This record gives sequence, C-alpha cells and structure tokens, in this order.
Amino acid sequence: MNDALEKLLQNPRLWRGQAAAGSLNKPGWQGLASGYPKLDQHLPGGGWPQHALTEILLEYYGTGELQLLMPALARLSQPEDDTQARWIAWIAPPFEPYPPALLQWGVNLSRVLIVRPRKPAEALWAAEQALSSGNCAAVLLWSDAFNDTTASRRLQLAAEKGQSWAIAFRSLSVLSQSSAAALRVQLKVGEKGTDLGILKSRGGRPAVVQDYAGL
Amino acid sequence: MPVSDKPPAILREVTPTPSVKGGRGQYRPAPEQQSLLLAPAEQVHPPPLRASPVQRLWLCIYLPALALEAVSDVAEAFAVFEDKQGIRKILLVNAKAAAAGIGPGLSVNAALALLPTLGFAERNPQRETQVSRELAGWAEKFTSCVCIEAPSLLLLEIAGSLQLFGGLKALRQRITLSLESQGFSAAIAIAPTPLAASWLARAGRKVCIRDPQNLAGKLAPLPLSCLNWPDSVCASLSGMGVTSVGDCLRLPRAGFAKRFGASRLLQLDRALDRLPDPRASYRTPERFAAEYELDAAQSDSTLLLNACQELLVRLERFLLTRQMAVQHVQFSFFHLRAPATHLALGCVQADRAVQHWYDLLAIKFERLDLPEPVIAMQLCADQGQPFSAKTSILPFTGQVTQQQNTSLTQLAERLGAYIGAESVHGVMTVAEHRPQYAWCSRSAVADVPRCASVPGYQGADYSQLIEMQRNNSLILRRPLWMLREPELLTNRQNLPFYQGTLTLLDGPERLETGWWDDDGIARDYFVARNTKGVHLWVYQNRSREDGAWYLHGIFG
Repeated sequence: MNDALEKLLQNPRLWRGQAAAGSLNKPGWQGLASGYPKLDQHLPGGGWPQHALTEILLEYYGTGELQLLMPALARLSQPEDDTQARWIAWIAPPFEPYPPALLQWGVNLSRVLIVRPRKPAEALWAAEQALSSGNCAAVLLWSDAFNDTTASRRLQLAAEKGQSWAIAFRSLSVLSQSSAAALRVQLKVGEKGTDLGILKSRGGRPAVVQDYAGL
Repeated sequence: MPVSDKPPAILREVTPTPSVKGGRGQYRPAPEQQSLLLAPAEQVHPPPLRASPVQRLWLCIYLPALALEAVSDVAEAFAVFEDKQGIRKILLVNAKAAAAGIGPGLSVNAALALLPTLGFAERNPQRETQVSRELAGWAEKFTSCVCIEAPSLLLLEIAGSLQLFGGLKALRQRITLSLESQGFSAAIAIAPTPLAASWLARAGRKVCIRDPQNLAGKLAPLPLSCLNWPDSVCASLSGMGVTSVGDCLRLPRAGFAKRFGASRLLQLDRALDRLPDPRASYRTPERFAAEYELDAAQSDSTLLLNACQELLVRLERFLLTRQMAVQHVQFSFFHLRAPATHLALGCVQADRAVQHWYDLLAIKFERLDLPEPVIAMQLCADQGQPFSAKTSILPFTGQVTQQQNTSLTQLAERLGAYIGAESVHGVMTVAEHRPQYAWCSRSAVADVPRCASVPGYQGADYSQLIEMQRNNSLILRRPLWMLREPELLTNRQNLPFYQGTLTLLDGPERLETGWWDDDGIARDYFVARNTKGVHLWVYQNRSREDGAWYLHGIFG
C-alpha cells in the first residue's frame, strides 16, 4: 500500500495543498510582517504574502483598510540600501492620500507614486505595468474595472514576475466570485475594534481575527 | 623706486604688458601715435600694436531688424512691440507700417488708431536666438570660425576663405546677396579685429579695413552708441564732452579705467588690435535623421513598428560612436495623399537604448491614428547630450535583479506616456499648518532622493503608533485620506450627519492661521465616528454663526 501511495505522490498531476506552503509550521515563504502580532499569527509565513496578490474586501472606503497596511508599507518604503529602492504605487485612489499622515506612519514619501488614470481600464493596465516592471515594492489598486477572474489572474502573474506585492481594494459584492489572489480578507468594523476575516489564504486556513489590532 | 617708473598696481592689471616678448623699450608706442591717442599721463603706456604672425580678418553681420524679421515675413504692415511695465510700445516696424507714419516708441493703441489693419507680434528673444543659430549654421559654409556675439551680431573670420571664394569683394557680395534672399536686412563691416568689425557694423559703416594700422583712424569718428555700453556710462561720457570712440582714446588711460571699468579699456585695446581677442567659434550640434522607405504602402502596425525599430537601431549606432544620448526623438509617417503624421517621444534621462525607445514608441503607437497607409517614415533626434553610463554589477556576483537595471523613473515615464504625465506624480510634505496646504505633489521623474536623506521614522515603533490610533489621540494625528474639497455635512440636532449621526470622539484641535494671505482658516477639528464605525475628520468654522460641519478627511 505504501508503494501505491508513493506512486501516487510521484504523479505530477496531483496537487498537494501543503506543497506550496511546505509544512504548516514552516511554510515555503517568509511573509511580510504586518506589524500586528495577532494578525501575523493567522497568516501563513507570519505575514502578508510577498510577490502575490492580496484582495481586501470592504463595504466603504475608509473602514481602516489603510491602517491595516501602513506598518508593512512603511517597512517596504525603507529598504536597507538604496539599490533596492522601489516605488509604492497608489493607482486610482478614491481620495487624496495625505502625506503628513503617511509620514507619521513612517512611510518614506519619496517612494510614493500616485497614478490617476482617466479611464477604469487604464487603472488595470497601469497596475499590471507597475507590478511586472519590478520597480514597485507594492502596488495598491482601487478599480471598478477589476471585476473578473481574468484580471485577478493577470495581476497575480504580474506580481510574481515583478516580485511585488499587489493589493486590490474591492467591494463586498465580489465576495462570491472566485479569485486568483493568494490572500483574500474582509474588513468589518465591530463593537470592539475592527475584525478581519480571512476568506482565502494560500497555504493557510480561513479564520476570523477579532480586533486584529489588539494585543 | 621713483613713482614715475612704476605704474600703479591697478593699471598693471588693466593693461597687461606682455612681458614675454622683448625688452622694455619695445612697449613704448611710436611718438606720433602717442600724441594721437594719449594726452598727459606719460607713465601709463598702452600696449603696443602687435605684429601678429597671422593676419586675421573679421566680417561682421549686423541684423538691426532681427526682432521683426524673426517673427514675421509678411508684406503687410507689421510691427513688433515690447512690453515695458505694462505699456506696450512699438520696437520695430516694417516699411509699409513706417509709410503709414508708425515708428518705434509709439504705443500700440496709438499705432492701431493710425492704421487699424496693422499686424502685431510681441518680441520673442528665444526665436531671435534660434534664428541667429540657424544663420550661424548657414555661415559655416564660408568659414570654420563663426561666433554669435549677440543674437543680432554674427562674426565670421574670413582671412582663410578669401582665396577659395575669389577675393574679398566676391565673398562679401555673396554673403550680402544670400542674406537678402533669406529676407534679412544686414549691415556688413570688415576689420582685422572682431570688436572693430562689430562696432563698425553697428554704426552702419560699410567699410573694409585690412591693415590694423588704419584701425584707430577709422574707429575714431564712431559714436559711442555703437559700442553697446550701458546707458549710464555713455551718458557720463557725453557729459564730459566725449562723444566718439576717438574722444575715448584720447582720455588718460589710468583715469578712464578707474572711472569706467577696466573691461572698457580692455575692449578699446582689443578693438585696436593691441591685445589679442580670442573667440570661441560656434559649432552646429550634430543631429541624427534617418529615413526608411517602404516598398509598398503599409498600414500593418507590426510591420511599421519593425521598421521603426530598424531606425532606432541606426540611431543607437550613431549615438554609440559619439558617446551621446538623446532626450527627444520624433517619428514622421508619410502618406501618399495626406499630410505626414508626427509622433514625438521624450524621456527624462537622455537615453540611447533601442529597447527603451521602442517601449515608449509601442505605447504611443497604439493610440496613433494613421489616416492612410504609410509609404515612408523618418526619425529625427534632437541634439545629443554626453551619455553617462551606469556602472553595472558583474554577473557572477549574483543578486542581479531586473529592477536594478531599469531605473525607477523609467516606470513613471512609461505610465506617464500612456496615461498623461500630469496624472503620475509623487508627493511631499510642506511645512504649513493649514491641512490642505501641508502637502504638494512632486514630479515622479525627478531624481529620487536617497533613503538616508529623507527624515525617516527608521525606528518607528508601530505598537506605539497603533496604540495611539486606538486611543484616538490627537497627538500628531492626521487622517490618511483627505477629501480634495471639504464636504458640507447635514446638521441634525447640532451634530453632523454622514451615513448616520456622528459621535465626536476627540477635539477640538483649533487651527487658526493663514490670515496673511487670502485663504486664512479658523477651524475647530474633531475626530468623529459614524454608526458604521468609520473614523472621520470633521471641522466647524469658528467665524461662522451657523455652526455648519464639514468633512475633511477619513482616517482610513
């Protein structure tokens, strides 16, 4: 019987969920620390998946989605040496990102690149270009045109190619759609702080992190 | 040492006596010349006339009406005006306008009253410089040494060209006729020194001096106005009764240098060929232009792009051999029955790599609307700049990632080329209390500052920041999202309403500043939370009685 199992495991058509993550305790990649210890515990690799697409689903813009990302973005904007300097691109943000606040969070403003496309389709194009160029540490995308699986797959591939972190902010209406994102989370403001629901996590398990910013 | 033997120190500077050649006796001018040029101060000797080993001859082209000719070539009545402190005064007029009684110095309104059909243009110094550069390029066919003294003044060193062009007269006639056919009215003078030639041309003397000995005599009657000295200098000279170059030369040298500056004395010496007057000659910058003819009219974009790439490869080869790079190129697509379509490309850092230009081209070409199939295409590049290469890392040291090769600005450039350069930008903070002025956008294609130069929060303690955020502390607290314009909120029971009644959590933070310009504020800012749990930054104007609430930011 062991023989049969070995044979089966050799078959390349067999996909093993843990292959991507190594074993559960020790995943194949190192995550980017989110700055929130409680959240890091629930994410495989102990942080945000780097070089992949993360989707954040929200009811309204402004329900704490930026605070969630700020510590990680701040770290990305300050690499150890200048040769690794890369942009943090904000593509089609719904409001003005406010530089004094970004500075308070420790973001290096000289790495912030704001792109305001005129048409929704241009936002996707710009995001794909920015990701695959390898010149961006992170690309934040707000786009209504991002509404199908093809787009998410393209962004995921571009993120892998350019070794960047893609973050897409989407409305709750796409909850039922499938997505190629490595991580899909939902933000919900609860009575005690903001809850974060992990809907999909490559190499991890869905969970709900109550009051993720708490201790 | 007696004073009379040694000139004062200041004069030793202004009349540099050539100490290399020969002894002291040589420097003393001939007695008859001294009497002509110098009156009393015996102890100050002018430099002698040099026996120059190479005889030079300068031809000066003066274009008195360049300001007019640069902007118009119409036969109708036309005038060029200059804006002087809000008053538009006419500077130059053409013949037709002059016939109608319009002259320089008249105001534009007065001129229009005289001749309602008069055409106008404002003086355009950039255009004048451009025209003079074009003329200098044209003049390079007569001599290898062309100088642009001023936009309206060109100097050609023609001693070496006389034989080839059949003598001085023939050459001069050829230049005059050619200028006329190009529509320029010019005054031409020839002299052994560049300054003398330009003074004579400015004075409108169509003379030709070949022997330096004759310079003093010919220059003496020239009025001071042709020297192009500042008005104040000319005024004080004429106040002393000095109205011509000859009068100037007759003044004591020491006093002249003290009163009017050593450089003026130096100019006089240079004009009279007593001191050398080296000139840098103008060189037309090299440019690249190449054409590609298609066998048949084509509209297939892949084929056209391939042909463009071929042109770019030629451009790269041209630039490589010269260690140059270019910043702007232009593709022109020619059609059989339609005017040519032009496509200009530009990048921030001068580059010559085919791939870089091709990427930019491909982005723009996609949106290009060609009216007809293309029969030929042309690539023109602007003036090259010295190429500064980047040091790359040796391949075996490892860790050579893709992003190190392409600079950060190239991404911003590529996005800007597609979306529009104004829609791609960086940000920076401004030291200002008014929230809406506390930041501004900066060019994303400018040099990216180094990490170390940014006042960073390198060791920012996130747990502390997060704690601060949780407690809604107003210390240093600003929202991550700002609204472009504050939004007026509806008022319910004296409380603001935005997707539900707001609860004020913290505040007020009073900002009362900016009274010195027109956009002063007096606001009380509060942190509020709506029923959905979104934290907002709202304010009330202090000066207004109505107590209206505005939404200015979202904490995000």
